[in-house]
Amino acid sequence: MSTFMQILFSSLETGSVYALASLGIIIIFQTSRMQNFAQGSVGMLNAFVATFFLMNTGVSPYFAAFVGMLSAFITGVLVDFVIMRNAKHVGAIGKEIITFGLIMFFLGIAPMIFGTSPLSFPRFIQHGTFEIMGASVTYNAVLNISVGLSLMTLLFLFLQKTKWGLAVRVTASNDKTAQLMGVPTKLITMGAWAVAASLGALSALMLAPAITVNVSMMDSVQISALVACVLGGFQTFYGPVIGAYIIGLSKNLLSFYVSSTWGEALMYLLILVFIIFRPNGLIGKKKIKKV
Amino acid sequence: MEKNNCLQVNDLSIAFGGIKAIDHLSFTVNQGEIYGLIGPNGAGKTTVFNCITQFYKADHGDIQFSNRHGKVVNLNKKVTHQVIHEGLVRSFQNIELIKDMSLIDNLLVGAHIEYKSGIIATGFRTKKAKREEEMQREKAVKILKFLKIEDKANSHIGGQPYGVLKKVELGRTLMSDPKLILLDEPAAGLNDHETEDMSNLLKEIRDEYGCTILLVEHDMRLVMDVCDRICAISFGKKLGEGTCLEIQQNKDVQEAYLGKGD
Amino acid sequence: MRKSGEERREIDGSKRGGSDVNGIEKKEKGLKVIEKKPPYKAYLLFGLFLILLPTAQKMGLIGSATITVLGTVIFYAIVGIGMNVLLGYSGLISLGTAGFMGMGAYMSAYLTADLNLPFLLSIVVSVSIPLVIGLVIGLISLRLAGYYLAIATLAVSEIFRQVFIEFEAVTNGFSGKNAAYPKLFGIIQFDRQLTFIFMVAVLIGLMIFTYNFIHSRTGRALLTMRGSEAAAQAMGINLLRYKLTAFGIATAYAAIGGVLYVHFIRFAYPSGWNLMLSLQILAVIVIGGMQTIEGPILGSFIVFGVPELILKQLPVIGNVDGLAYVFTGVLIVVVIMFYPNGMIRLGNDIKKLWKKGRKHGKEQLPASE
Repeated sequence: MSTFMQILFSSLETGSVYALASLGIIIIFQTSRMQNFAQGSVGMLNAFVATFFLMNTGVSPYFAAFVGMLSAFITGVLVDFVIMRNAKHVGAIGKEIITFGLIMFFLGIAPMIFGTSPLSFPRFIQHGTFEIMGASVTYNAVLNISVGLSLMTLLFLFLQKTKWGLAVRVTASNDKTAQLMGVPTKLITMGAWAVAASLGALSALMLAPAITVNVSMMDSVQISALVACVLGGFQTFYGPVIGAYIIGLSKNLLSFYVSSTWGEALMYLLILVFIIFRPNGLIGKKKIKKV
Repeated sequence: MEKNNCLQVNDLSIAFGGIKAIDHLSFTVNQGEIYGLIGPNGAGKTTVFNCITQFYKADHGDIQFSNRHGKVVNLNKKVTHQVIHEGLVRSFQNIELIKDMSLIDNLLVGAHIEYKSGIIATGFRTKKAKREEEMQREKAVKILKFLKIEDKANSHIGGQPYGVLKKVELGRTLMSDPKLILLDEPAAGLNDHETEDMSNLLKEIRDEYGCTILLVEHDMRLVMDVCDRICAISFGKKLGEGTCLEIQQNKDVQEAYLGKGD
Repeated sequence: MRKSGEERREIDGSKRGGSDVNGIEKKEKGLKVIEKKPPYKAYLLFGLFLILLPTAQKMGLIGSATITVLGTVIFYAIVGIGMNVLLGYSGLISLGTAGFMGMGAYMSAYLTADLNLPFLLSIVVSVSIPLVIGLVIGLISLRLAGYYLAIATLAVSEIFRQVFIEFEAVTNGFSGKNAAYPKLFGIIQFDRQLTFIFMVAVLIGLMIFTYNFIHSRTGRALLTMRGSEAAAQAMGINLLRYKLTAFGIATAYAAIGGVLYVHFIRFAYPSGWNLMLSLQILAVIVIGGMQTIEGPILGSFIVFGVPELILKQLPVIGNVDGLAYVFTGVLIVVVIMFYPNGMIRLGNDIKKLWKKGRKHGKEQLPASE
């Protein structure tokens, strides 16, 4: 039981990392109808920014994380303002290829600015654990889990309860109509990129203490986040988040109980099998194509 | 199904999210006639087409079709891409041609099912594959000539006038040697002269190619000019079926189009 | 509808004959003009030029390292041509290209070095197995919206990476796997020069093969599917079957590229087959030019040749890490946004501009006088 609880808590932590990243992907998918494959690499680049800032100024990790998220926010705005806004004539596939270009750009530019050796980003809370049902959990993990959950709750409240949230949902359901109705879709799209990038940076920084800040740190998160969108379905905002926690848990369970080397591979295989039976994901609905 | 029947739609119904788009609709198209399906906007005409060609699966009813071998088949048992094999081919309301391809290549796509050679044979350009290609190209040129657009055979689709595009879509349907052609608004967007041209083409297709035509159209001049029989529908229900004159005099049809006159 | 040959002739001749006395000949031409002549000659000439390169190296005209780089360009061009069938003609994205390449490479290395299988047989096996695996993945993901293929292949390439590390018996794990230059029919031992020429032959052969099936029913079906799935279905094109065909071609060409890689570079290392390589191969066709046979070759040269041959020679920035990625990444974005047809059209467009400019100039001359 205690091992299981241990796994459960660590899954909640990795699940939060994946959930933040996949929420970024789904926000962009909903508002721009495209997959953002560069979600992870934007996070990676800005994790470098945060760590670099921390190393050179000696501020607290919280403030460094804030700086990283802010610079990610700016990165998102720039990506939209410089590229996506001027790529209206490009189809969805073309836009996805643009994000491939962005991955290469970010992966190339990071070592140019920050050097090739991995950097370390400290935990937010350095010490302290407590016991719960036989599992020992660090305060830092609790912080990560609760920050992740509360941030997502806030976002969902924003989407469901506010005027701007409604604007986002209208843009998601039909951006042309939204524009005609006076919704500032340009601003919404830019906001989506900015928020998505910040979420990516935060997920990178949550992950950083465990694996150091390096160029390939987000590779596995990017894949898990996309697979989470497949698992949860691309139609809702919350589907991918649920998918992300399921992936976090099943990855850890399979790694512990089945095989530590093949756990992750096995999980991907299981999800491939899953989409044979539920092609639109857990929460997905089938859309009727109009001819 | 009687011998001279080509297509029989029996008691067809389909609903989208509780709204009945087609409501127990039945009609019969005879061999060798031009049959018009008319109705106000949103009457469900294109939905009928989509059900017949299996883009939508009807909730209820069946669609009997006397196929190219004279055998009666229930189209509801077919997958979308199998329908053309039976000898039934369609055009689309918002022209579905391929912009990156030339006119003749667009036509050749219509002959897709006529080809036997696969990727290996075409890759190595076997004699059989070459002969096949030549044969279909000749057929395509002939159809382009019939449509009087052969001078544009190698031009790209992008940038061609609407009248030409409509003709290419028509030509593409002819490439599969169809028995029944479903045309979704063949005259939409055409000017008077082009519409007249289209009317004549449709009659020629019926008379020379021996095809049966089922068409959906808003342009009443074209409908009244070419159609042998007409079925009028509104909100997915049949209002009346008969010759042009009968339909023009039908009270329900007049009501649906002009509103109730008190 | 089908009329006999002679009747057809009459119909065809009726209009084109016109004022020409030799009506029949003219009409025959009229029919032939419609099918573009395959550019076999140009392809073969290009091949001949490539074959001369190793000799040029022996004569000291180009360096030995240049040949290695150009060999790299050749096998990535092959992978690119296959990928172009998928992305360019069918509008689908695979991110597992590197994985399938790696699988082809390891298999061929293992079959020839450890099992002593003949080289040609090893090619067949090393291409078939990735192909079958690819088709299974395709069968699952291609029933859904197009973007599922990208994600499924991305996940599968992660599995492959793990396999490359763990299946030490075949891949030799982190130490990397060695392979030898090919030996044909058990007697003809290739050296580097002959291997290079062999790769050129495979490239030209695949260019011709691809050109042929693209300019036939298969290519048209793919383009139609990309342009309008509805039209494709109405014309009897089985979407799943053609998407699978395109993905199968991409997978098979990737595996062929992998086999050539391992027998030319003679070494394979697990972390080499990563996402970045798959992205670079996408860059090859995006930058080179989609929907062309020649585009991927130019693209391969730009993505894999230019950084090695030119960027590295640049003063100061040449040594900076990540320069090649930044170069490729920026090019991808710029090409997609401003020049979506790819660099291969650059020559043509410049010619057009030049002609336009000259015409314009001539028109203006009298005015200026």
